[in-house]
Formats: sequence, structure tokens, C-alpha cells
Amino acid sequence: MQQFVKKLIHEPLVHFLAIGAALFLLSGLFGGSTATQSGQNSYRIVVTPGQVEHLTAQFTRTWQRPPTETEVKGLIDEYVLDEISYREALALGLDRDDPTIRRRLRLKLETLNEDIAAAVPPSDEQLQEFLEKHPDSFRREPQVAFRQVFLNADRRGRKADEDARNLLTRLRAGGPDADLAGLGDPLMMLSNDIPLSPDWEIRRLFGKEFATNVLELAPGRWEGPIRSGYGLHLVLVREKTPGRLPELSEVRAEVEREWLFARKKEMQEAIHKRLLERYTVVVERPPDAGGKGSAVAATLPAAGAR
Amino acid sequence: MRNKNERMQPGMAAFLMIIAALLVMQGNTPVYAESSPGLPAPTSDVESAFPAQKHFSPYAGRNFPTQVFWGDTHLHTGMSMDAGAFGARLKPEDAHRFARGEELTSSTGLRVKLSRPLDFLVVADHSDNMGFFPRLYEGDPKMLADPTGRRWYDMVQAGGQKGVAAAVEIIEAFSQGKFPEALASLPGSQAYRSAWEETIHAAEKYNEPGRYTAFIGYEWTSNTGGNNLHRVVVYRDGGEKASVTEPYTTLKPLGSDNPRDLWKWMNQYEEKTGGQVLAIPHNGNLSNGIMFPILDTFTGKSFDRAYAETRAKWEPLYEATQIKGDGEAHPFLSPNDEFADYETWDKGNLDLSVAKKNDMLQYEYARTALQTGLTLQRELGVNPYKFGMIGSTDSHTGLATAEEENFFGKHSGTEPGPERYKHPMAQTANGRYESYDMVGSGLAAVWARENTREAIFDAMMRKETYATTGPRMLVRFFGGWEFTADDARVRLPAYVGYGKGVPMGGDLSPAPKGKSAPTFLVGALKDPLSGNLDRIQIVKGWLDQGGKRQEKVYDVAWGDADKRKPGKDGKLPPVGSTVDVKEATWTNTIGDPELITVWQDPDFDPKQPAVYYARVIEIPTPRWTAYEAKRFGVTMPKEVPMTTQERAYTSPIWYTP
Repeated sequence: MQQFVKKLIHEPLVHFLAIGAALFLLSGLFGGSTATQSGQNSYRIVVTPGQVEHLTAQFTRTWQRPPTETEVKGLIDEYVLDEISYREALALGLDRDDPTIRRRLRLKLETLNEDIAAAVPPSDEQLQEFLEKHPDSFRREPQVAFRQVFLNADRRGRKADEDARNLLTRLRAGGPDADLAGLGDPLMMLSNDIPLSPDWEIRRLFGKEFATNVLELAPGRWEGPIRSGYGLHLVLVREKTPGRLPELSEVRAEVEREWLFARKKEMQEAIHKRLLERYTVVVERPPDAGGKGSAVAATLPAAGAR
Repeated sequence: MRNKNERMQPGMAAFLMIIAALLVMQGNTPVYAESSPGLPAPTSDVESAFPAQKHFSPYAGRNFPTQVFWGDTHLHTGMSMDAGAFGARLKPEDAHRFARGEELTSSTGLRVKLSRPLDFLVVADHSDNMGFFPRLYEGDPKMLADPTGRRWYDMVQAGGQKGVAAAVEIIEAFSQGKFPEALASLPGSQAYRSAWEETIHAAEKYNEPGRYTAFIGYEWTSNTGGNNLHRVVVYRDGGEKASVTEPYTTLKPLGSDNPRDLWKWMNQYEEKTGGQVLAIPHNGNLSNGIMFPILDTFTGKSFDRAYAETRAKWEPLYEATQIKGDGEAHPFLSPNDEFADYETWDKGNLDLSVAKKNDMLQYEYARTALQTGLTLQRELGVNPYKFGMIGSTDSHTGLATAEEENFFGKHSGTEPGPERYKHPMAQTANGRYESYDMVGSGLAAVWARENTREAIFDAMMRKETYATTGPRMLVRFFGGWEFTADDARVRLPAYVGYGKGVPMGGDLSPAPKGKSAPTFLVGALKDPLSGNLDRIQIVKGWLDQGGKRQEKVYDVAWGDADKRKPGKDGKLPPVGSTVDVKEATWTNTIGDPELITVWQDPDFDPKQPAVYYARVIEIPTPRWTAYEAKRFGVTMPKEVPMTTQERAYTSPIWYTP
């Protein structure tokens, strides 16, 4: 910040503005003020009872107790200085060409728009329609329970596949309840008996490819080897439940959230478009930036033709 | 002059009027939930959870934490003043959607998606200047009483193009000074309030117990003189309690830059609401010697017991790794640790206004701070630096990306692109941070029983957490007096771990008779998508006979153990590298997918306080810069590191004589 100020001090534009502001200040002081109470550059600051109340309330919300008289005075002093600095900074034009302020204001404007979009709650019919249109967003995931035996493919090298085939034969002979003690290679931190879990849980633990492959297995028979990020696994699926599209009543809150999100987006785009229609945008590219240096009247794609 | 100004900037003047008017127009004050007084919610106690009854099935009766949940406790969105300035357009809502696994468009227009969703997220925007827009409250009576207000309200209700038309009309009315006075008559601004409410709303909307935890939180950004004392504040509670108070700021007169005042605020919040909050400091490396001091930086005096108690109470964790540097260890402090110089950021303080001096470093890094804590405990009776470890990104893009091949950078100006490595990440008059120095880190791992705000928060409070620099390796670490080599050969080490010892974040019980030194059961399983494991180390810190800080790093388990043995100097040779930098690939043909062992401290002295934590190191893999160079076909300068050895740091286990 200090650096910024230092740099600012050397800006000719700042000199110009400062002189301007000084002149303005003088004319205000000696030229008989015409400033009105509501004017941006007025020299009168009225701290209304409402504002004091607001400052007090804000303090109370932070500290969970009302401010003391001294603290109220401090709050008011800060408020007044804020207000003065704000007005003076605007008069100097310090808000202009400041990317932080521009971004901030855009964000605020867009939030206002979003709030307008969110003001009306959707009806059940609207949500039902949304659910039907976006089944994949709401589908209850398939679940699977399985046992697994691990083989360290890296350690076993070229023999790994053969070892896996031999082990598979043994496991099939042992059936679904085969005793797994001492079989395969140790992978102690991962259970060899995974209870019924949704597909994303399996993806989390074993990786995506493994999860997809296991979900395709028919229950009741040892299969494999299936590769994961750890190595090879022989797998017996104990139980599977397929995914399904839920009723609206099961997922109403979720559908409403998604509906609202989609609506906000639509609304935002529509508002951008409407606002753009009011502006003529002229883009003057520098000579070497592909625009051949000519001024081109252009509208942003979102604005459409006009 | 005034008139001229107005002529020059009609758009701006109009715009400012909109802002001013809208701020004034704020409708009815939001209704706060009546504060819910009462006792703080009970926290689940894991240590008592080991079942006395023996079950036939090893899975029955388990109620210790069986799962690691992955998250980011420190993510900024466009709501943060600086993030917005850097071009972040994403908001808390987008951040949660992204963390839950949705594909979306970044602020610079790139499609982006996580390889795996996160389990939890704290959107932690800066509390200072969180100021934001008021809402047009639905059915605000003051608005409805006015004919124009009524008409707008109806248009908004009608939705569709009518809603759009209303929005545009409202904006127009402001800009032309035609906004109905009846609607613009309320004093004071609720800007701040709305920002906080938006953060809360987003968390409430996406929080889904059992599936995804959206924590409410913010960052308190104390940065006086450019020295980083930042803390992220995390709420255990939902919006009902969190909205009772507003976040604590550093701006006077409401706020303060002294952490003691933040803790006071936290205390007030808990007393008032019966809720619970914790604070996580970060970037000691940019504090220039004031993150873990031995004297109070604000008074220059010694700490007292109250300070130690308060800090330990509110700050159970430290964010030990993130984009702006890794904070576990520094090569100057740990010259014998060949892994200490990992993604080190030690040029100066945050804004580089004061250059780093070596004597600052001991007060900045987690490992040394843990030892300093032992010293202060002797002096004060309480250890103020008794913290566990987590990692997080501190990304300002709204995107929690800690994976090397999917790294979206510190802020929206450093999102992926062929030129990214050339631009500074930030530049001040005193120096610059290179973009290529950004660290693709970190992630918070939490051992808990279920994915809920309560379970994860409680795990954080008991420090059953660890930090990783991005990958999701599973790490278990238990300390006790009775572990034997056989315990490393049973399935599900957690069972014996909780049965015979305490997990990471815990305290060793006093030594039973006949036991000469503590034993540790430590195990790690690789991330299925990342590199194999090179080694597990245990880092010990202690106070020697003279009360001086000491540290030692022990290699306790390593990959390729059949071929790789420690040399004459006791050092384990490097694991090697399979990285093809040009192609940004590697193979898992070195290292091991899983390492597990029981280790006993060979240098234990029961009279000396000690602290132990585990560090797990992966084999070398491509750094994010290698992926970037390959994707965009660029050649980066020689000084840009292209490989990395990702790692995890567990919360410590303490021994107090």
C-alpha cells in the first residue's frame, strides 16, 4: 500500500487531480457553499440516529454486547473519517481505473441480479420437470459390497498375471466364503471385506477404473484380476444394488438448489444481454494484434446483433 | 470543477449513485435466530471408544475413526477483496459445487474439474472488506407499499423475461435518480452483513451430512507491517449460530491485528451462542519471526500461562503446507535433514517489505515451533504450540486444486497457460514471487467416523489430522508402550493401534513400569492415483539435559527394502527416480504401495519432554511445472524445479515427563 502511494505521488495525473481538488476545496470554503445535504461533494456530514443505531448494532453483532459511550464515539469518528475519505477520494477520481473497485462493483451488481432471480421459489411442477430433464444429476448411485485379495504386481513382476490366475482357481474352489488368511500380498490398511458402499466411495478408495470394473461383475463368483492404483485384486462381489432415479419428494431440496442455480445463471446471462443492448461497443485494436489498426464497431457475442 | 467532473464521468457518477442508493435501500434487517444459549455441544471422545466386548467379526463394535476425509480448510473466492481484484469471479456457491466434483468454468474461462471430489471445504474469505450487496428481500413491506416497488415485486414474481426486465429497470431507475424515495429511506448499510450471509447460505445449501461437509468460516488477516499472522476461523455450527455474530476483522475500531483479540472474540461467540469455533494459523514462513515467538510480539514481554492456555485452546492445528510455501522444516534449522528444503519460501515477509534473516526462521517453521512449545511448557506449565498438522491450498480462485496435474494456482492471474511460468505470482517494489515457485499443495486429512461438520470438527479439535502436499495417502500413526513387531503384521492396524496406544494428536501416557522407551505403530498406503512410497520417517524433537531444543529424523520403513539398506553414515540411499520430465510421466516400479512398521525410540530419556510426528515421502513424480511444460509445449528456465517428492506430515504425539 505504501509503495502504491509512493508511486501515486509521482503520477502527473495525481498532481493534476490534487490541484483540482485543492481549488475545489478553496472554492467550497470561500465561494459560499452550494453543497446540498445529499450531494456527493457536500461538506456537511450528518450522522443520523439511524446510522448511529446501525454502527451500534454492528458492534453488538461482533462483540455480543453494546458498545460503551467511548466506543460509540470511536465508531462515529471512524465513520465520519470513512465518509470524508470516501468523498475526497471520489473527488480525486481515485476510484477510476482501479481494477479492485471495478471488480467489486461488478460483483455487487451481479449479486443483486442473482437475488432477483432467487426471489421466487419454484413450484413442484417446475421441479418435477427439472428432475426429468436432468436425471443424471439426481440419480441415486449404485452400491456394491465385495471381498478382495491383493497382489503386488510390481513386486511379482512378470509372474503377477500367472499368480493371479492360480490364486483365482483356488478362490473359486473355496467359494464365496473362502478363507482369505495368508492369501495374496499384504495391503493392511485397506479392508479385504468392503461393506455395501456407493460407487463414489469405491472410487475414493480404489480409483475410478477399479470401481467401474467391480460394478460390472456379477455377484457370487470370484473374478479378476482387476487392476487398481495399488496393484491387482481378485474380487468377489457379495451384493449389488442398481442406481435409480429418485422421486421428487426424496430429493426436493437438492432439485430446488440445482434449479435455482440454473435459473440464476440464465438470469445473469439475460441481464448481461439486455444491458449490452444499450451500449455500442467499439474495439480499437493495436496495429499488430490482428485488428489491422482500424476501429471496429463490435458487440460482444452475448449481445447479439443490433 | 465539480460540474466538469460530472460531465466527464456520467457513467461512473450514475454507477456510484446506484451503489449508494442500493446500500441505503437495504430492506428489513434479516432476522437472526434467537441466540441459543446453553452448554457447548458435547464432543465425541475417541479414546474411550475401544469396545471392551470381543466380537467375532473384527468390524463389529468398531467406533474409532475408520475413514480419512479429505478437504481444504482455506479457500478464497471472488468475495475476498484481493481475489476479486485478481479477477476471481467464482463465489462461495461455485467453490462448493466444484469441491463436490462438478465441472465448471474457471474465472479465466477454462473448464475445470477435480479428479476426485473433496469431502469437506471451508470457504474462508477475508473478513476485512467482505462488504457486499444488500438483498431485495422478498415481500419487503416498505417496498410493497410503494407502487413502483409493488410493480417490480410482481415482475420479479412473474420470473422469466419479466424478472430480467425488472432487474434492468431497477438499475436504470437508480442511474437516473428515479428510484422511489420510499424505498431509499433506510439509514446505514448492511453491506457487510450480506456478505457474511451469502457465505453462510452457500455452506448451508451444499452441506450434506454423510456426503459432503460445507463448513462456515472466514480468514482473519492480521498483516501489520507485512508480517503474516493470518488465521482461518472454522465453525462447528450451522448458519443459525454463525449468523448471530459477524466475523472478526483486523480493521480498527471494530477489529484488531492482535491474535489475543481474535481469541477473545471466539470466546464471546461461544459464550453467546453455545457454538464452537477454532482457528488455524498459516504461513509462519511469511511472518518474519513472529508466528511462533518466545516473547509476546505485541508487548515485548514474556508470555504468561494465560497466553499459552488460550492459544492452545483456540488453535489446535497449524496449516503446515500450502501454495505459498511448505512450512514443516527449513534447511537452516535442520541441516542434517536432506528433505527439509522442500518448496521453501524464505525471501521475506508477505509483502517482501522486510527481507528474511536467519534468526527469524526458528520462529516460523512447524518442526522448530513444536520444540519451542516444549521449552515454553517448562516455563509456563502449558504448551502454547501444541498443534496438529493440516495442509490446504489458500487458493484465491474459488478452486481447491492441490494436484500437480490439475493445478490452478494461487489466484486467477495464475491459472494455467503457456505464459504462466513467466509472470510473477505477485510483485511489490521490494521483489517478486515467481509463478513457477507456487507450490501445488496442500490437502487436509482428517480421521473421523462420519462426514459431518460435528465429526470432522471434533477430529480437528483432538488433532487427529495430517497434512499432505496434495496426494491422498492414508497414514496411521499410534504411540504407546507396548507395540511389538507383530502389530505391524495384523490386518487393520487401527484396531491394535487404538487398543494399545493413542492416535496422532494424542499424549503418551506415563511409562508403565518395566518399559524403557515408547513404541510407535506407523503405516502408510499410497494414493491410488499418485506415486509409490519412498519412506516413512519419524521426526523427534526434544529438550536435552541442558534444556536445549534438539531434533532427529529417523528412517523407520522404506520401499524396495530387499535391495535398499542404510549406508555407513546411517543414511538411507535415495529411492531413485523414474520421472520422464519431457513427457511428465513416471512409473511405480520403485518404492512400495504400502509401508508399515513398529518403531521404538532408541534414544529415549524419560526425564526429557519429547514430541514425535511421522513424515511420509513419495517417490519422485512430475511437479506441476512439468505437466504445464508438456501441455503447452514450452521450455522453462533451468531454475524451475520439474520433479517433486510429495509428502504427508502427521499430527504429533507428545511425551511429557
